[in-house]
Amino acid sequence: MTTQTVTLQGLCAVYGAGARRVTALDGVTTSFAGGTFTAVMGPSGSGKSTLLHCAAGLDKPTAGTVTIDGRRLDDLGEDELTRLRRDRIGFVFQAFNLVSSLTAAENVELPLRLARHRPPARDVLAALDTVGLTDRAGHRPSELSGGEQQRVAVARALITRPAVVFADEPTGALDSTASQQILRLLRALVDDHRQTVVMVTHDPAAAAYADRVLLLADGRIVDELTGGITATVVAARIAERETAPAGSAVESSC
Amino acid sequence: MLSIRRSVGAFVAVAVGVTLVAVATLLLASGRPQVPDRLADAAVVVQSPEAGAAADSFAPTRPWSAARTAELTSGLAGVPGVTAAVPDRTFYAQALVHGRPSAIDAQREDAHQGHGWSSTRLGGLRLTAGAPPRQAGEVVVDRALGLRPGGPVTLLTAAGPQPYTVTGLVDAPGVYVADDVAAVLAPGVRVIGLLIAPGADPEKVAAGVRGVVGGDGRALTGDGRSASEPRNDARTRWIGMQVLTATAALAGFVTVFVVASTFAFDVGQRRRELGLLRAVGATPRQVRRMVRAEALVVGATAGLTGLLVGAALAPVLGALLVDVGFEPATFRVRYEPWPVALSIVAGPVIALLAVWSASRRAARVRPLEALREAAVEQRPIGRLRVATGVLLVAAGLALSVGTATADQARDAATFALYAVMALVAGATVLAPAAVRPVVRLLRSPVRRPGGAIGMLVRAGASTATRRTASIAAPVLLTVAFAVLVSGMVRTTTAAYAAGRADDVNAGWVVVPDRAPGLSDRAVAGVGGTALLPTTVFESDPDSSPTDRPLTALGVDPVGFAAMNRALTVVAGSLDDLGGGDTVVLPASANRQPSEPYALVFADGEVVSLRVVAVVTDDSIPGDLLLPRSVVRTHDPSALTSAVYVRDRVDPPVGARVVDVSAWAAEADRAEDRLVWLFTLLLIGVSAGYGAVAVANTLLMAAAGRVADLRLIRLAGATRGQVIWLVTAESALVVLIGALLGGAVAFVGLLSIRAGLAEQAGVPVDLVVPWSVVGGVVGLCLLLAVLASALPTWRSLRHRPARSPA
Repeated sequence: MTTQTVTLQGLCAVYGAGARRVTALDGVTTSFAGGTFTAVMGPSGSGKSTLLHCAAGLDKPTAGTVTIDGRRLDDLGEDELTRLRRDRIGFVFQAFNLVSSLTAAENVELPLRLARHRPPARDVLAALDTVGLTDRAGHRPSELSGGEQQRVAVARALITRPAVVFADEPTGALDSTASQQILRLLRALVDDHRQTVVMVTHDPAAAAYADRVLLLADGRIVDELTGGITATVVAARIAERETAPAGSAVESSC
Repeated sequence: MLSIRRSVGAFVAVAVGVTLVAVATLLLASGRPQVPDRLADAAVVVQSPEAGAAADSFAPTRPWSAARTAELTSGLAGVPGVTAAVPDRTFYAQALVHGRPSAIDAQREDAHQGHGWSSTRLGGLRLTAGAPPRQAGEVVVDRALGLRPGGPVTLLTAAGPQPYTVTGLVDAPGVYVADDVAAVLAPGVRVIGLLIAPGADPEKVAAGVRGVVGGDGRALTGDGRSASEPRNDARTRWIGMQVLTATAALAGFVTVFVVASTFAFDVGQRRRELGLLRAVGATPRQVRRMVRAEALVVGATAGLTGLLVGAALAPVLGALLVDVGFEPATFRVRYEPWPVALSIVAGPVIALLAVWSASRRAARVRPLEALREAAVEQRPIGRLRVATGVLLVAAGLALSVGTATADQARDAATFALYAVMALVAGATVLAPAAVRPVVRLLRSPVRRPGGAIGMLVRAGASTATRRTASIAAPVLLTVAFAVLVSGMVRTTTAAYAAGRADDVNAGWVVVPDRAPGLSDRAVAGVGGTALLPTTVFESDPDSSPTDRPLTALGVDPVGFAAMNRALTVVAGSLDDLGGGDTVVLPASANRQPSEPYALVFADGEVVSLRVVAVVTDDSIPGDLLLPRSVVRTHDPSALTSAVYVRDRVDPPVGARVVDVSAWAAEADRAEDRLVWLFTLLLIGVSAGYGAVAVANTLLMAAAGRVADLRLIRLAGATRGQVIWLVTAESALVVLIGALLGGAVAFVGLLSIRAGLAEQAGVPVDLVVPWSVVGGVVGLCLLLAVLASALPTWRSLRHRPARSPA
C-alpha cells in the first residue's frame, strides 16, 4: 500500500584521493516510504549528512542512484535539479535557514516566488498558522527566537506541498522546549498531512518521534529500528554498537 | 534581498563616480569657443587663411599684408549689405601700473593686447569717459586700471616702455590707439570685421564675401565667428578638455574597479545566503540576475544622486578651473543635454560592469554552502583570471614602452595613463595569487612582537586570500597610481630641465615677469644673447600642407653660437647669418646652403631668403634661425623670450634674472604647473576612491567577522588584544597593497626613465615625490585602521558570552 517516495540504490560518496581518500557513503541502499518519518542517526563522520545531501540532490554521489517521486536525479541537469528541489523537496537546516533581509512571510513564500508564482496571502498565512506563527508574519529573522526561526523554515518547507521534507539536525541549535515544538510539528505533518520526512539527528530523544530509525557507521547502514521507538531504546542500541567489538574489516563496495 | 547597510558602500562609490563624470562632462560640454566680445557686433567676420598645421598646435592664421588688407577692405565694403569693413589690428601693448605690469590680468591674453580704435565699432564698445585717441601718443584704456582721462600712462610695447596720454576709458580689457598707430604696430591683419545693414542676411553677405576673398580667407557667421577667439584661449580650453576627459575616464575606470571589488566582497560574504537560495530552489540564472538587479538598483539611484550633486558642483568647479588656468576666463557652465543623458546612463552601466564577475561567481555558489562555514575559501584564483591578469599586465607593459618612446610629451602622458590603468587592473586581478607569498615575506616582522596575535593575523591574511586581496586592491590602485603618475611627471620635468640646462652656456638668464616677453629696450639694457621668436609661414605653394607655421628665432649669430652648447653645423657657416635675406635651417628641412627659401612673415609680406647654413635638428630650440633685425622689421610686436648673460645683471622693467638651472627648471613653468595641478587632481580622485573603498570593504569585513572575534575573545584574548589583532590585520593588508602597487609603479617608471634618457641624451634621475606617496599610503592606513578598529571596538562592548546565536 505504501509507495516509496525516495529510493537510494548503491549510493557511494568518495572524497579526496590517495592517502586523503574518505569514503563517506559506502554502498547505501534504502528507501523512504510516503507518509513516514525516518530518523537517520550515527556518530560524527558516519556519513549521515552526506546521505541526506545526496538524497536531496544537494550533493552528487560518486556512484549509485537517487530516485525522488519516480525521477532519477542523475539524469537531471543543474536547472532541472533546482526546479525539482523547489517543487518537490522541502528543507530545514540546523541554522541559517532564513534570508535575513526578508520577513517571515516572505521567507515562507520564497520557493514559490522563485518559481514565479505569487501565492495568495492566505496560503502563506495558513502555512504560518500550521507552525503557530501567524502573528509573526511581518517579523524579520533577527526579531525571531531560534525556535521561531526553525518553525518559519518548516512552514517554508511545506508551502510547495513537497514530496519529501529533509531536515538536517533541525533541533541542533535549540533548547529542549523549542526542540519538542519542532519535532511535534514534524510528527504532525506526517500524521495529519501524510507528509514524508527524513531527519538527520544525533539526539535519541529526537529520533523517538520517528517511525523508523536508520543507524549509520562508516558510510553503511548498520542497524534499523521500526516500531516501539523510544529515546531509551535508541540510546541503548547506539551504546550497544559502540561497545560491541569492531566488526571485521568489511570489503568496501565503492 | 537588497540590504541597505550592505549597499551603502557601492552606492557611495557609484554616486561619487557619477558626480565626477557629470561634473567633467558638463564642464567639457560647456567649454566651447566664444565669439570675442571685441567682434560681437560684426555679423560677418573675415579671417585670414588657416595655417597648415595640426588643430592642436594653436598656430595663428597666416596674416594679410598691409597692401592686401587695403585691397580686401575696399572690396568687402562694396559687397551688398555691408555698411563697413573694419580691419581688426592686434599688437602687444600693456599699461604699466605703478611701474609694473598689473598682476591681476597676467592670465588673460586680451589684457596685454592693443588694437586700433576702429576695432571698437566691431564690438559696439562705447567710451565711459573722455574722447577717442586721434594721434600718436594718445590711448584709451580699461576703466578697471583706475586711470583718469588726461593723465599720463606708460605703455609697455615690443619696443619698450612708451609715454602715452589717456584720452578716454572703456569697459573692456586691452588698450586702444589711433588707427594709424595701430597700422604701424600691427602691419599684418588676421581679421576684418563686417558691419551689415539692418535686415541684411549674414549668410547672403558671407556668400558675397566669398566671391571677393576667394581662397585667401574664410567668411565666418553666427557661432562660427568663435574661430577668431584668441589662440591662447583655444589652447587653454584644449588643455582643460584633456584634463576633464582624463578625469572622467579615470573616474569611470576607478569607479568600476572599486565597485567591482565591493560587489565581489559582498558576494563572498553572502555565500551562505546564496547557498540557501540555491537550496530552496533558485537556479544559477536566477541568482545571477538577482545580484545584477541589485547592482542595477544601486547604480540607478546612485547615478541620479551623482548627477544632481554634479550639476550643483559644476559651476563651482568651473570657476576653480578658470582660476588655475585650465579654462579661459570667458568660460561659463552650460547645462547641455548630452552630459546629463550620459550621467544618467553612467550609474547603471558602471554598476553592471562592476557586478559582472561577482554575479558569475554568485551563480556558481553551490546549495551545500548554506550548510558550511564560509571561512575556508575555495581555490584562490582561476585559470581564466590568471590569463586575464597576464594579458592586462602585458598590455600595460606595452603601453609603458609606448610612453617611453612617444615623440610628443602629450602622447606620452596619455600612454602613461592607460598604461597605469592596464597595469593596475592586471595587478589587482593577479593579487590573490600574490597575497600568500607576500604574507610569507612579511611574516617575521608581524610574528615577533605579535605572539598569538601575529599568528592569527598571518593565518587570516593567507587563508582568506580573496578577502585580503579585495581589501588590498584599492590600496594597490591608489598607491600604484600615485607613485607612477607623480613619479612620471616629476621625472619628465627634471629630465627636460636637465637637458635644457645642459645645452646653455651661460650663467644667468633674463626672463619676462608678468609680461608675455621682453621689450627691445629691456634687451638692449641687458646686453647678452637674446632670442626673438616669431611665427612665420612656409610660402612654397607646392609644399603640403600649405602655409605650414614655423617658429623662427631672431638671433645674433656670434652670441648664439657661443651660448648654445648643442649647436652642430652640418653645412655652411653661421657667421653668414646677417643682412636682410639670410636664414639658417635644420637638416630636416632638406635644403642646401645658397638655395632660396621663401617665408610669409607676421606682417603678411612674402620674403625670399637665402640659406646660409644647415644645422642638426636638435641644435636650435625652434624651427629656423633669422637675423634679429629681420624678425624685428617684419614683426613689430615680436617679444624676446629670454636673454642669456654671463654675469648677474639688474633686471629691467617687466623682467627678472634667474640662474641657468632655475631657468631650465622653470622654462615650462606655466605648463609644468598645470601638469602638476592636473596630476594632483587625478591622484586626489583616485586616492579619495581608494580611501572610500578601503573603508567600505573593511566595514563590511568587520560585520562578517564579529562571530570570529567573539570566539577569539572567549579563547582568552583581552579586548585590547582583539583590537590590536584587527588593527594589525588591516595594516598588513594595506602594506601588501602598497607593496604590490609600488612594484607595479616602479616597473612603469623604469621604462619611462629609459625612454627619457634616450630622448634627452643625458642620464635621467628617477624622481619620486615621496611626500605624495607617503600621504596616499598614510591616508589608506589611517582609514583602514579606523574602519576596522572602530566597529570592532563597538561590537566588543558587551561581554563575550552574551553573543546572540
